[in-house]
Amino acid sequence: MLLLLDILTTAAILFIVSIGLLAIFGVLKIINFAHGAWLTVGAYCAVVTAKLGLNPWLALPLAFVVGAVLGGLAEHFIIRPLYRRPLDAILATWGLGIVVGQLITLAFGRDVQLTPNLFAGTVAFGGVEYSAYRLVALGIALVIGTLFALTIERTRLGLSARAVIMNETLARSLGIDTGRVRLVVFMVGAGLAALAGVLLTPLTSVDPNMGVSWLIGAFMLVMVADASFLALAAACLVFGAAQVLISTFVSPILGSIAVAVLAALVLRVSPKGFSRA
Amino acid sequence: MLETIPAAERAAVAPRSRSRLSRAAPFVAAVLASLALWIAPAFLDTFAVNVLTRSMIYAVLAVTVDLLWGFAGILTFGQAAFFGVGAYAAAMILGAYGATPVGIAAALATAVAAPALLGLVVGWLSFYHRSTPLYASVISLVVPIVVTQLIYSGGEWTGSSSGLVGFDVLPFEIEGYFRLAALVLVAVTLAAWILVQSDAGRALVALKDNEARCAYLGLNPRRLQILLTTALAAVAGLAGFLFANASGVVAPENAGFLFGTELVIWVALGGRGTLLGPVIGTIAIDYLAANLSGDLPFLWQLLLGTAFVAIIILLPGGLADPVGRLWRALPVGRTGQAAPALAAREAGSATSTAEAPILKVQGLAKSYGSLTVLEGIDLEIRAGELVSLVGPNGAGKTTLMRCLSDGTEPFRGAIAIGGTPTTGLTPNRIVGLGVGRKFQVASVFESLSVADCLRLARASHDGLSPLSQAPTLGLPQAALDVLRMTGLDRLLTRPTRLLSHGQKQALELAMVVALEPRLILLDEPTAGLTKAERTTIGSVLKALTAGGRIAAVLVEHDLDFVREISSRIVVLHQGRLVLDGTVDEVVGSELVRTIYSGGAHA
Repeated sequence: MLLLLDILTTAAILFIVSIGLLAIFGVLKIINFAHGAWLTVGAYCAVVTAKLGLNPWLALPLAFVVGAVLGGLAEHFIIRPLYRRPLDAILATWGLGIVVGQLITLAFGRDVQLTPNLFAGTVAFGGVEYSAYRLVALGIALVIGTLFALTIERTRLGLSARAVIMNETLARSLGIDTGRVRLVVFMVGAGLAALAGVLLTPLTSVDPNMGVSWLIGAFMLVMVADASFLALAAACLVFGAAQVLISTFVSPILGSIAVAVLAALVLRVSPKGFSRA
Repeated sequence: MLETIPAAERAAVAPRSRSRLSRAAPFVAAVLASLALWIAPAFLDTFAVNVLTRSMIYAVLAVTVDLLWGFAGILTFGQAAFFGVGAYAAAMILGAYGATPVGIAAALATAVAAPALLGLVVGWLSFYHRSTPLYASVISLVVPIVVTQLIYSGGEWTGSSSGLVGFDVLPFEIEGYFRLAALVLVAVTLAAWILVQSDAGRALVALKDNEARCAYLGLNPRRLQILLTTALAAVAGLAGFLFANASGVVAPENAGFLFGTELVIWVALGGRGTLLGPVIGTIAIDYLAANLSGDLPFLWQLLLGTAFVAIIILLPGGLADPVGRLWRALPVGRTGQAAPALAAREAGSATSTAEAPILKVQGLAKSYGSLTVLEGIDLEIRAGELVSLVGPNGAGKTTLMRCLSDGTEPFRGAIAIGGTPTTGLTPNRIVGLGVGRKFQVASVFESLSVADCLRLARASHDGLSPLSQAPTLGLPQAALDVLRMTGLDRLLTRPTRLLSHGQKQALELAMVVALEPRLILLDEPTAGLTKAERTTIGSVLKALTAGGRIAAVLVEHDLDFVREISSRIVVLHQGRLVLDGTVDEVVGSELVRTIYSGGAHA
């Protein structure tokens, strides 16, 4: 039971962390290496909220807005000029991540910051005491996933985004402002990443480099999902399970690289990853 | 189809190459740099000597990253992992056996061999038929992460998170390490310089430019990329060996992904694809970092990050770009590439088995999902035939060409070239069977010169020298004819991106002909060409097939052109082969008129 809960909640956290990256990869077709920085920015929004003495849950909207604004600026000044050089865009966003990380260090110092727990305590669930927050995170992942799916399927933005994903040239010639779609999607993606940063605060320590450790896992999951939302959910479940199982039964160190290694092997065998199924 | 060129002929055309002076220049520069670096420790304080030793070792790594990324187009973060493996191998063996001659030899050998082996595995993982550059970069990210985690879990063997210290090292003073690092750096840079200036170096650029064209010239892109990854992993391991000895400490960070990204940043700032830029950039940045990061640790990182983003966006060529432009503006910098002398080589005594058909297609069918593009195609083509494939748009002509030249396309039925079935064969292996393919949109190497493109077309026959540029360019007579008729023989040093559309088409045709194929596939070779160019290409094709040893298949819309040159016409309509006959039979046929006029009588 414990194992099952671990697997589900780990998958949920992986999903929360990678969904913003997926949105950006799908529409802009670039890998956003500043993703780790957006996570960090979000976590520091939680720190700021706590310092101001506000309700910790207020950090969620704050982080989304801050992330979206910063994302908008980054899209305009950094991503747009590199649209035709995708490998360079990886590097520029990585550089942006360094800059953001150092700015945070200058502002808050290098030390680990403490944040109030969003949801403390444990609950008895199916015969075991389990961290309440991890269960809440599972619920939040489902909510985010549902909202994301509804946006994609039911809104005008979702429709435009799907059009751009399928055929950008055609979308443009049909009068869709693809530049604006890209901007909005990048903002949403960065906002979601910052949101994820807040949600991570009860689970990990908050420091200027916290995002980097999450970046590679999220990146590999998105590569495997190949811009498909459902494939991402599947990949999070499968690789989350692998991570939990290997950590529990073999070694935590091997567990920590399980996602990256397994994803690389899956891509080697089937370059389209999970999206083909 | 190997043949020999008489040695006398080769020698006769040699002298008109670059002056000896400019060929010796890199060696002179290397000797001067070595001498300067040899005496440099006398003028530097201990701190500077220590830091610069490390910087120069990092610069060796930067050269390898530059070769991979700047020249071959493989963005890699993985060199750090190979470096780390080399450093740990050296530290572990020296720790176990001490700095005895045997211990040192074993440490050095392992520090080079272990990364090379890992490089081979990584190369195999990263490069396969239809692998993408992004995938190779992804793997190069995963490798350092895996290596670092293995180091963490290595317990006493690897010292876990605290690394290894206190192992025996080479018996040198710090000046000795400085000189050793300097010599290795100069040697590696010189070797890299010679490689990229050589004909084989052009193949690296060609891979970055147009991997598909490389494959369709019979080169194996996969093998080249894996070879390069393996060799440069070994060089990174050597740098790791030096580092372990010079610093006396190895730590997990030396193999980490962050170090891998730092290498890329240094190369980008210095100027990718320039060799000297990354070397100077790495030394300058690492030295500055050592001096500044003590006082302003965060600000320094911030400045570096900002500079990196700005350079990537505004100056993709790095800081070497403006310097290089300035240099070329000076009179001494304008040397330019000398044109190789063209030479005809005797046509290979191809084993002409007149009995067996060159191409045999049986029951070929292909569909994309529920859409059937080709169905029940049976076709036999013999040497000496010039077959035109005609049909309206969407008839499946280009798909048929693709199936003929790429056995990994998922199709049903059987295709055999000279009796060998092609199912599952990659394009380069089908080229090896004697097939040359010219694409609909001219596919040449945009950043290479005309002569380099032709040289690469001959690479599968003649090989490429990794040491120098051959002074002559031997081509089959037919390829020379194409060049002469189109005037390309006077433009050998011109970069192909400056050629006109028609010239590019002609160049690609010359490249395909230079392969000396038995079967030549041409997809709309005359599209967008002038009447004169069309006539030229027509007469070349006729002359080629008239010898009775080569067959040609061309997709063509211009029926007048088809009528003029073909020996046979095959009509494709809605994925089926509806007519196959002589020119008169097909042109006079009612069916063709119906197809082309949309059902009604013309």
